[in-house]
Amino acid sequence: MEKDTQKDILQELESSEYKYGFVTDIETETIGRGLSEEVVRLISEKKGEPEWMLERRLQAYRHWLTLEHPQWAHLDIPEIDFQDVIYYAAPKQKKQLNSMDEVDPELKRTFDKLGIPLEEQMALAGVAVDAVMDSVSVKTTFRDTLAEKGIIFCSISEAIKEHPELIKKYLGSVVPYTDNFYAALNAAIFSDGSFCYIPKGVRCPMELSTYFRINAEGTGQFERTLIVADEGSYVSYLEGCTAPRRDENQLHAAVVEIVVEKDADVKYSTVQNWYPGDKEGKGGIYNFVTKRGICRQGAHLSWTQVETGSAITWKYPSCVLQGDNSSGEFYSVAMTNNYQQADTGTKMIHIGKNTRSRIVSKGISAGRSQNAYRGLVRVAKGADNARNYSQCDSLLIGDKCGAHTFPVIDSFNPTAVLEHEATTSKISEDQLFYCNQRGLSTEDAVGLIVNGYAREVLAKLPMEFAVEAQKLLAISLEGSVG
Amino acid sequence: MLKVENLHASVGDKEILKGINLTVKAGEVHAIMGPNGSGKSTLASVLAGNEKFTVTAGSVEFEGENLLQYNIEERSRKGLFLGFQYPVEIPGVTMANFMKIAVNEQRKARGLEPLTAAEYLRMMKEKSAIVELDSKLTSRAVNEGFSGGEKKKNEIFQMAMLDPKLAILDETDSGLDIDALRIVATGVTRLKREDNATVVITHYQRLLDYIVPDYVHVLYKGRIIYTGDKTLALKLEKEGYDWLINDYKEE
Amino acid sequence: MEIVRLLASLQASPMPLSGCLGSGVWSIEADADRDIVVEAGSEARLVVVDGEGSAEINIDVESGAKLRILNIVHHHSATTMAIAVAEGAECRMTQVVCSSSDSRVVASLVGREARFELGGVFVLTDGDQTSVTADVNHMTSDCVSRIKVKGVASGKSHGRFSGLVYVAPDAQRTDSEQTNRNVTIGEGRIETLPQLEIYADDVKCSHGATVGQMDSDAILYMRQRGLSLADAKRLQIEGFVDDVVLHSAVEGDVVAEVLTQLLADKLNEL
Repeated sequence: MEKDTQKDILQELESSEYKYGFVTDIETETIGRGLSEEVVRLISEKKGEPEWMLERRLQAYRHWLTLEHPQWAHLDIPEIDFQDVIYYAAPKQKKQLNSMDEVDPELKRTFDKLGIPLEEQMALAGVAVDAVMDSVSVKTTFRDTLAEKGIIFCSISEAIKEHPELIKKYLGSVVPYTDNFYAALNAAIFSDGSFCYIPKGVRCPMELSTYFRINAEGTGQFERTLIVADEGSYVSYLEGCTAPRRDENQLHAAVVEIVVEKDADVKYSTVQNWYPGDKEGKGGIYNFVTKRGICRQGAHLSWTQVETGSAITWKYPSCVLQGDNSSGEFYSVAMTNNYQQADTGTKMIHIGKNTRSRIVSKGISAGRSQNAYRGLVRVAKGADNARNYSQCDSLLIGDKCGAHTFPVIDSFNPTAVLEHEATTSKISEDQLFYCNQRGLSTEDAVGLIVNGYAREVLAKLPMEFAVEAQKLLAISLEGSVG
Repeated sequence: MLKVENLHASVGDKEILKGINLTVKAGEVHAIMGPNGSGKSTLASVLAGNEKFTVTAGSVEFEGENLLQYNIEERSRKGLFLGFQYPVEIPGVTMANFMKIAVNEQRKARGLEPLTAAEYLRMMKEKSAIVELDSKLTSRAVNEGFSGGEKKKNEIFQMAMLDPKLAILDETDSGLDIDALRIVATGVTRLKREDNATVVITHYQRLLDYIVPDYVHVLYKGRIIYTGDKTLALKLEKEGYDWLINDYKEE
Repeated sequence: MEIVRLLASLQASPMPLSGCLGSGVWSIEADADRDIVVEAGSEARLVVVDGEGSAEINIDVESGAKLRILNIVHHHSATTMAIAVAEGAECRMTQVVCSSSDSRVVASLVGREARFELGGVFVLTDGDQTSVTADVNHMTSDCVSRIKVKGVASGKSHGRFSGLVYVAPDAQRTDSEQTNRNVTIGEGRIETLPQLEIYADDVKCSHGATVGQMDSDAILYMRQRGLSLADAKRLQIEGFVDDVVLHSAVEGDVVAEVLTQLLADKLNEL
């Protein structure tokens, strides 16, 4: 590439900003830094939770105390001081929200700026939104429309109070607090998140969406999402995330649990755009998330993720294919630039007979970033005729980054047919030259090629998200060519 | 040689053969025709002993014995050959090695000594000439990378090697150009003797220009609904099956 | 017995101690740690037969040297072979594993335009617990590696393949392929971990792993031609591993015959 072009692009990188890096000036109620049994009690009290919930939290907290921070990921994680994190922060506002007018205008502006209008008449056609800022759910739209079909869509705090029978039955049933370090931490101190229940045979008429925003300084966000799709139901769920630019690292340790009952179908899409840190690798979110769904007989769960943000991403949305004839999918694009690190992938656990899974992972590494796919396909003894196909591709942009693939395939059943393929490539000079010759700038050409490379995954996203994801990839790529 | 009576067979819960009656004598050539999905290939598979199908009623007598009591390889060794419509590719297994075992199993069943390497090579050379099969193909893996025509020639070559009493050729003509068709058909004709018999399953009359049948049967919905001589094939080619099917419906 | 015949046919000289190898054919029993140097520019062939117990064998293939290794693993052994391949040097290796064992091959391509190839098979029957590791480190640019391992796990056996291709920063124009194909029969368990760790961008790296069964249509086809079920299965497995066995890095009619016999004896346990 011409020296001048290279300089231009590098300059553009320096000027290119994380679009969602602003801070909302809103009064925030926080509790002090640090974690103790007192803090767990305080969070539970602030949420006005029943005694049984507090008990669950304490049990998880006591278990967490016995655990050590895991080391197995291909990540360089600085020591995290769990006593230096604020575990609860809430934008101050009036207690009960009865109409949109009661939402703090500053808060409303925040979500407008993020492109997430909270006013129902303005909302994107057919998308119901639960907006979570820092530790609490700000507003859930379209609740009444959904209620007509018997669909429950609310914050998890409300669900604990209003639907204790469902919460008791399902919360922690897919990701128990004993699962891992961050699952235990989350179970102890989660502050809010979304809950969704689709009754038997109901096809949710609109996309459900949760938008997560970290605003307050020094806080961690620990949300909890629980989706229950009862027999024969269908729902498509979207999750988006952003955070302000800050020099410090902030911790996000969420848990998402999905129960897909017999013959139900759930599609879960994520566009993760937490603040990735600056180009020197300063600041950014540590995104340590446990996501897992369980599929009963004939059920289907599809995970789609576009991961462009966070300083460190560490997550494996997984499917436990417990029921016969159930199926799971995982489609992922993980893009890292500058000093970002990602260790992401999936687990497909085949337990039922005739279970099927498919994994398509596209990693893109640029700058000095490290991008790893890690996956497990396990076929249990009784899982006759299990099938898996995995394809994990890596694209490298620049010679200072890394792309890694760590799959594990473990078959206990001799009728399994499992296939894994991986390739590593770079954008070829020929491709760039070809595009340049047709008048495209190198930057545009790279954007185009990357989008083409990720197309199979992007095509799985709902329309509005797909457009956003494409733009995000282009923004995240800025300055990566040289 | 072969006597099929009231043969019923199913795959899973689905009954495909619904009472087949067919008698084939030594020295005869039979053609079985019929529209798609009528059960032609199933009949071939059931006679060969494919375990995917269950015989639910009826009997099959072959050379005076109950054929149904034997498994697939035993039937093969008794002299029943099935030419597959889609010959399977077997990576890594060479034709030469494969056929050597097959020929010697056949000989063992007939109480003959296994062939020496030299005898076997001579036999390979001689038989591959019958279907003009490139002798290089015999050193390659079974059917792997063979063209459609080569696969079908290879089936007839194997038939020549195994010298069966009854050969059932399942759509051997499908996917062949006219040259390959001629070679395959001529091969079959050259292998014909007074003491063996051939059942040709086909869609098109054109194969029957080369292999002249003594009988032509029409199979429809799991039953043989009509039997005629070689002129029937020509009539079917011109007029299709509708006239027969309509008659059958009225019955 | 078979091994003795094989070594005799190759006229291999036993290498009792660590040391330098010039051109020629050598054999070692991997019963103790050894350090071996293949002299620059020489062409050596080496047969490594595992002994009972564990051993670590370090081999330096000096610049421009060509080494071919045939490694037979048929004891309860744990052998590590660490092979460093220098500039312009080449190491081709064939590995045949048919016992409960833990064999590790770690090849490091330390000089430019070095090449490493491994063709391996493991055939396991009831009770075998076997681990095969094949790691390749591309430490510098313009090197080539080819790893192909085929596994058969039958009866109550457990076969594990682990292979890491590491590409160091600046190891540009690395060309690496790794495949691991496995077949399970009966209650066999297969675990496979094909891994890539890549720190350079101008690379061609791919890996593929499969776990599956023998093609039942092919079995049916062979039986129609009169082969017994057992023969059909045996033939198919031979066909599956033959491309590795018949292209042994250390060649010879007796080599092919002995390897085929070793595997046939093993397959008789099926």
